[in-house]
Amino acid sequence: MADAAIHGHDHEDQRGWFTRWFMSTNHKDIGILYLFVSGVVGLISVLFTVFMRLELMSPGVQFMCMEGFMADPCTPNGHIWNVMITYHGVLMMFFVVIPALFGGFGNYFMPLQIGAPDMAFPRLNNLSFWLYVTGVCLGVASMLTPGGNSQLGSGVGWVLYPPLSTTEGGMSMDLAIFAVHVSGASSILGAINMITTFLNMRAPGMTLFKVPLFSWSIFVTAWLILLSLPVLAGAITMLLTDRNFGTTFFDPAGGGDPILYQHILWFFGHPEVYIIILPGFGIISHVIATFSRKPIFGYLPMVWALVAIGVLGFVVWAHHMYTVGMSLTQQSYFMLATMVIAVPTGVKVFSWIATMWGGSVEFKVPMLWAFGFLFLFTVGGVTGIVLSQAAVDRAYHDTYYVVAHFHYVMSLGAVFAIFAGIYFYIGKMSGRQYPEGLGRIHFWMMFIGSNLTFFPQHFLGRQGMPRRYIDYPEAFAFWNTVSSIGAFISFASFVLFIYIVWYTLTRGEKVTENNYWNEYADTLEWTLPSPPPEHTFETLPKQSDWDKGHAH
Amino acid sequence: MPIEWVNETKEAPEISGASFHDRGQPPLAVLHLWPHRSLPKKGFVLFIAITFVLVLVPLLAVIGTPVLWGLLPFVLVALALMWALLQKNYRDGEILEELTLWSDRVTLIRRARRQPDQSWQANPYWVTVQLHEKAGPVEKYLTLKGAGREVELGAFLSSDERADLYLILADLLPRVAASAAPGHQPHA
Repeated sequence: MADAAIHGHDHEDQRGWFTRWFMSTNHKDIGILYLFVSGVVGLISVLFTVFMRLELMSPGVQFMCMEGFMADPCTPNGHIWNVMITYHGVLMMFFVVIPALFGGFGNYFMPLQIGAPDMAFPRLNNLSFWLYVTGVCLGVASMLTPGGNSQLGSGVGWVLYPPLSTTEGGMSMDLAIFAVHVSGASSILGAINMITTFLNMRAPGMTLFKVPLFSWSIFVTAWLILLSLPVLAGAITMLLTDRNFGTTFFDPAGGGDPILYQHILWFFGHPEVYIIILPGFGIISHVIATFSRKPIFGYLPMVWALVAIGVLGFVVWAHHMYTVGMSLTQQSYFMLATMVIAVPTGVKVFSWIATMWGGSVEFKVPMLWAFGFLFLFTVGGVTGIVLSQAAVDRAYHDTYYVVAHFHYVMSLGAVFAIFAGIYFYIGKMSGRQYPEGLGRIHFWMMFIGSNLTFFPQHFLGRQGMPRRYIDYPEAFAFWNTVSSIGAFISFASFVLFIYIVWYTLTRGEKVTENNYWNEYADTLEWTLPSPPPEHTFETLPKQSDWDKGHAH
Repeated sequence: MPIEWVNETKEAPEISGASFHDRGQPPLAVLHLWPHRSLPKKGFVLFIAITFVLVLVPLLAVIGTPVLWGLLPFVLVALALMWALLQKNYRDGEILEELTLWSDRVTLIRRARRQPDQSWQANPYWVTVQLHEKAGPVEKYLTLKGAGREVELGAFLSSDERADLYLILADLLPRVAASAAPGHQPHA
């Protein structure tokens, strides 16, 4: 029998530095690892954008030369350009935003919010993280190995469309496919872990419709990953066999169909954009409720909107490919289904506004980011409605209008949500608070910089400037220069952010309270010390700790 | 509350005074305790069913092409893995504590995965039930003491549940002990 252990000793954290960070099975430590690694990868792919905007700053090719960087005279090297857009896309989609929001915040806060002691499978969690790191290494290696055009890296775009991807020379493309495979395996294992934790390890009394919105958003995200990433894994495996083993899944010469690849890629790709943004929705809900000092407006519709966006995300994929020759009926269906998504998204946006309505709104840094998110995500959503029109898309397809649209929802949406989350939670995670003034400067630099970058791209798109080219006619010069200046300001804000993180972690003011915001930050993580001890909720939390009467 | 009295009413039994001895007679009461799991088995079925229907959507688009056979294994393996790991999670948390009360004996058996069964028994006359507010590894630590050992009961329950259980047992155990007194006759 389990003999009683009265006067038991408390657990002491006796792990060494190496054990703690390299062999960790602790969900909080793994969450922090995810955040840092995705930050580093984020810096790499942001550096690519600086290089690209430098090149696009004025017409002609000045920087990406066959002869080397900034050679004079300069023979344009389109391959470098193609490699830059490809790896910017691959890294951002698979190795920055998902790991930061889902791996980082999801790992750290979802188990805390539902009162679970850890993830359901802590060692699987460790495996997910290291598979992610392996994927990053493969991705970076792919860029540095011989690829197409007898140069390094692959320039096929992050979507890896055949026949471009099946005919690209060298082994760089194969490494890129492996990178996506490994990151996919990491995400699927992580998703299964999250789903199991969410479904089976909620505290007693926490029925599904009492779960905090962030945890709900992580669950729906995990579910989307489980449903869509295996499809991508299958698709790129077929690319791999087409490349190396002579199969012809996507090669018309052998009876295959390259359009079919586009269908399955976007069957994954559209849920992917919701995978990126949904955890952001969760974070924003908590931030807005906290700094409006009001419980979130319409909790139940907010949950159902998350689920509806998730489900609808699976039946709209072909709006990315109106121009491939689908029948009128197919296009009409995808157009209507796409517009329907505006309904649950609208429910969310209006509920956030209603939460602020009559609240006592306080503009601390996390709230600034949430405000920025709300405004800019809505702008991106509205251009999304424009693009959803199959007829209008004929004009906008593959122009900078599309680039502006998806950067408004992802760069200005998801990334603003990440920053909101970091400023909201950094005190909880590190035990030290960020400097308020520098945080504000960071926000305004990023807000101005990124709008300056992407808003003019709407104009360029409307004027007909196509995506994915190294050069453009002089008529497009003005807005491209403006856009580049914006990109440099945004990059400077990122450098400032790195300084802010360093400053906070080393000399930020110590946090002494469990809940350093206010009583409307009422989820379970705010009942813990900052930073939380190694083991949390080893014993079940009391219902009164999380079931606040005013919340729902 | 994840505890259950194994009888028709599922309530803590009335101990009428009749004695039931451990030698060949049915126990007065049997109590099962297990850790809380938030996903009922019906929820598991529903989740897998909805997931299965949704994974068929992309397959519809590729029916009749060889690409179907490229996608199918990945989709099915992911679904199977989800199934298997949810089941593993159920198994990982499988602990059953069984408290059986006779007039002359109390037994507690703890069955957990990958561990041998642990058991304890004592005469109810000498058994004391205690609730340690702060001294235990968990708040409101519930223990049974008897036959020279002190053992824990329901350490995996929430502290409120243990407090409730304490009140029930503190009321029940003296009556169980009393039922063994001479002069009591078993039910006809």
